[in-house]
Amino acid sequence: MENNIRIENINAFYGDCQVLKNITLNIPEKQITAIIGPSGCGKSTMLRCFNRLIDLVEAATYNGNIFIGGMNILSKSVDVNDVRRKVGLLPQKPTPFPMSIYDNVAYGLKIHGTKDKNILNEKVEHYLRVAGLWEEVKDRLKSPASKLSIGQQQRLCLARGLAVEPDIILCDEPTSALDPVSAQHIEQQLIKLKKDYTIVIVTHNIHQAMRTADYVAHLYLGELVEYGPAKEVFENPKDERTKAYIDGTFLSDLNTNTEIVSKGKRFLKHPDKRQISAGVIA
Amino acid sequence: MSLKKRKDYIVGNLMEATSILSGLFLVVIALALFLRSMPILFEIPLKELLLGTTWLPSEGKFGFMVPIAGTLIVTLIAMIIAIPLSILSAIYLAEYASGKLRSKILPLIDLLSSIPPVVYGVWGILVIVPIVSRIASTIGKYGIPFLTSEGYSAGYSVLSGGIVLAIMVFPLIISITEHVFRSVPSDIKEASLSVGATRWQTIKHVETRVIFSGVMAAVILGFSRAVGETMAVLMVVGNVQKVPGSIFEPAYPLTGLIANNYGEMMSIPMYESAMLLAALILMLVVLFFTIMARLILIRIERGMANE
Amino acid sequence: MNRDMEEKLVKSLMILSLAIVVSSFFAVLVVIVWKGFPGLTLSMITKTPQGDFYLGGGGGILNAIVGSLYLGLASTAIAMVISVPASLSLQKEYLGKTKAAFYIRLALDVLWGIPSIVYGAFGFIVMIYMGLGVSLLNGIIILTMLQLPVMIRAMEEVIVMVPAELKEASYTLGANRTDTTFGVVFRQALPGLVTAVLLAFSRGIGDAASVLFTAGYTDRLPESLFEPVASLPLAVFFQLGMPYPEVQARAYTSALILLLIVLALSIASRYLEKRFRKNILR
Repeated sequence: MENNIRIENINAFYGDCQVLKNITLNIPEKQITAIIGPSGCGKSTMLRCFNRLIDLVEAATYNGNIFIGGMNILSKSVDVNDVRRKVGLLPQKPTPFPMSIYDNVAYGLKIHGTKDKNILNEKVEHYLRVAGLWEEVKDRLKSPASKLSIGQQQRLCLARGLAVEPDIILCDEPTSALDPVSAQHIEQQLIKLKKDYTIVIVTHNIHQAMRTADYVAHLYLGELVEYGPAKEVFENPKDERTKAYIDGTFLSDLNTNTEIVSKGKRFLKHPDKRQISAGVIA
Repeated sequence: MSLKKRKDYIVGNLMEATSILSGLFLVVIALALFLRSMPILFEIPLKELLLGTTWLPSEGKFGFMVPIAGTLIVTLIAMIIAIPLSILSAIYLAEYASGKLRSKILPLIDLLSSIPPVVYGVWGILVIVPIVSRIASTIGKYGIPFLTSEGYSAGYSVLSGGIVLAIMVFPLIISITEHVFRSVPSDIKEASLSVGATRWQTIKHVETRVIFSGVMAAVILGFSRAVGETMAVLMVVGNVQKVPGSIFEPAYPLTGLIANNYGEMMSIPMYESAMLLAALILMLVVLFFTIMARLILIRIERGMANE
Repeated sequence: MNRDMEEKLVKSLMILSLAIVVSSFFAVLVVIVWKGFPGLTLSMITKTPQGDFYLGGGGGILNAIVGSLYLGLASTAIAMVISVPASLSLQKEYLGKTKAAFYIRLALDVLWGIPSIVYGAFGFIVMIYMGLGVSLLNGIIILTMLQLPVMIRAMEEVIVMVPAELKEASYTLGANRTDTTFGVVFRQALPGLVTAVLLAFSRGIGDAASVLFTAGYTDRLPESLFEPVASLPLAVFFQLGMPYPEVQARAYTSALILLLIVLALSIASRYLEKRFRKNILR
């Protein structure tokens, strides 16, 4: 079975503000596809459509078709939890669960029915190795995950996500919160993983995209502006805006950009203690 | 539906059922009280019940005026003391105090609210009552309206009740008010300060408008709590069945009515019904004020979310 | 009055108010300790009232201490079993923002504000209907009802503060509501839940008005669910009402014991919260 992602005519809205405009895109399997573009223009939103995490945001609506490995994940008969298993997500900020390192990785396995201690031990070790964390934590698997450094936490999240054996890995600016050494670690792991997984990385760091990507998609203000093999897009961008972005300049319609950024960000505010919020994520 | 999905569904339903039942509880209590106070509501017209001043159950006379007046007066005194002190303290904590000071004082105020009422009562008897007695004998002779005191006052009075009650209500009003002040958006404050206004001017002219309803909600909730406090007030307010003519005179709050007479409930017909009516009145007062306060707070939150 | 003077005046008034509020706490503490400490003998807390206890003779208030513990522990345990699922069900994934949830929260707020004597009166009705006399069981039922709104409300406040990203991370792995709620949310909120329980327990054992009609009083240690039971607040109240100074002095000591228990609980819950905060995220 193919493990590519094919999306057709995706439109997404936060309230009245349109964040994704008629996106049609094919993400090939077992390659790293980078999605670049200025902050706040829909990259994260698009990612969250792929695993239907966007369903959890009240104020968000979307339509279109999303096919993963040929299966339409938006159809009513699809079990959303299965989709999420198949499509893993590594978020920007590492979020280890309030449990031990071992339990973090085992969590996904346990909820999907694995009970056998031996199997759990085996898999926990395996995925911690794949994430490049095993050597550093093998002696303290039962200690709280919160005690790890940020870079280690992110690798833990990677192991945790891999443990449920997805086919696709989505990464939402996975290294932007990390120091350069940890960031490099993660990038190297992702490159190694490419042979077994389809990987999509959202990044605002052009250099990271250049280092890791096989394919690149440029999302600008909610529109898919350019797409193609990495080499082509970086060396010979066809669109003005892509060229400008890569060269590090901004076009004069900075106004519109900030408007969408601030509107979008308003809906991403986290609830404060007295439940004051407008559209909360999960 | 897979087994897992089914389990999720069932567990979810069970959980929701517990919270629904917990909420419905209010209805159960209200109904029970209402049903059991019906006998007396049929016998004696409501007006006579609420405004009558004689309380002679053996003769079938149930006038609630005295206890109602007693409750209102004690609560009023408590609020007069508590409101300014609480609001001023809360503003200081929210706007002027350093983080360190706040982190030391807020827990302390919190502890105030965990002290059992009966302990407040004991303290009231030990400290407040003698002080009030002393004040009564010095000021009482001047004949100032509401501040008179004939002869010797032992100190068990609405003033004592009011003071103790005020202290019990401080934490509630302070915590809500402090929170409301802290949630004033900083841009408004900054805008005022940057044109050269002092902190107090900013608060007085700019913030007051914003936080007014929030503070009102805090006051309403404090009032509601004060109305229902039984033990502490009972112990210091004197328990004399009279509407007090001065703050140094004793009174007989509604809560005291219930607490004092529960033992006699069974002997006289209608007595039980009367007691439960008193409880029902208290409950309705709290219901009304709580809903008002909650609606105000919701409107504020909605207003802030729309910015 | 010029504005600087006004500012200074108001500021001093504020500090004065705060000083009054804070000193009232210490006033209560100091006086109760001062008056109650002399009577704090070993026999006070280890013996039940002997023959002429109420006339000044020997014995102690063990009956009330144990009675309060029984009443408190049982009612808090039952309330806890109901409150945990109830408060968890107020999350977004369950009743969250439905109309039902609005009314439930409103009802709980009202219930929280209802004076305990009203609970006592209601308990009186329950007592008659269920044919229970004044008894330990009755007291437990009423105290459970009294604690429920406090506990649910306090628990909900903590549950709402569980970071959205944490829940998201769980859903990303393909977990459903039950997995996320009990696997992640519960663990994250645990310190706060414990605090809520201690808070409710504090309120329960400190309350006199509700047990007045329903649990009665006795000089004996609690032996059966269907017999009256003593409680600390009532112990204070009754002893205070006796015309003998020695007995009244014992009332102060009883009040001190009650105060110490409640303060200890408060401090313990604060300490627990601080300690647990290290193991969970943010």
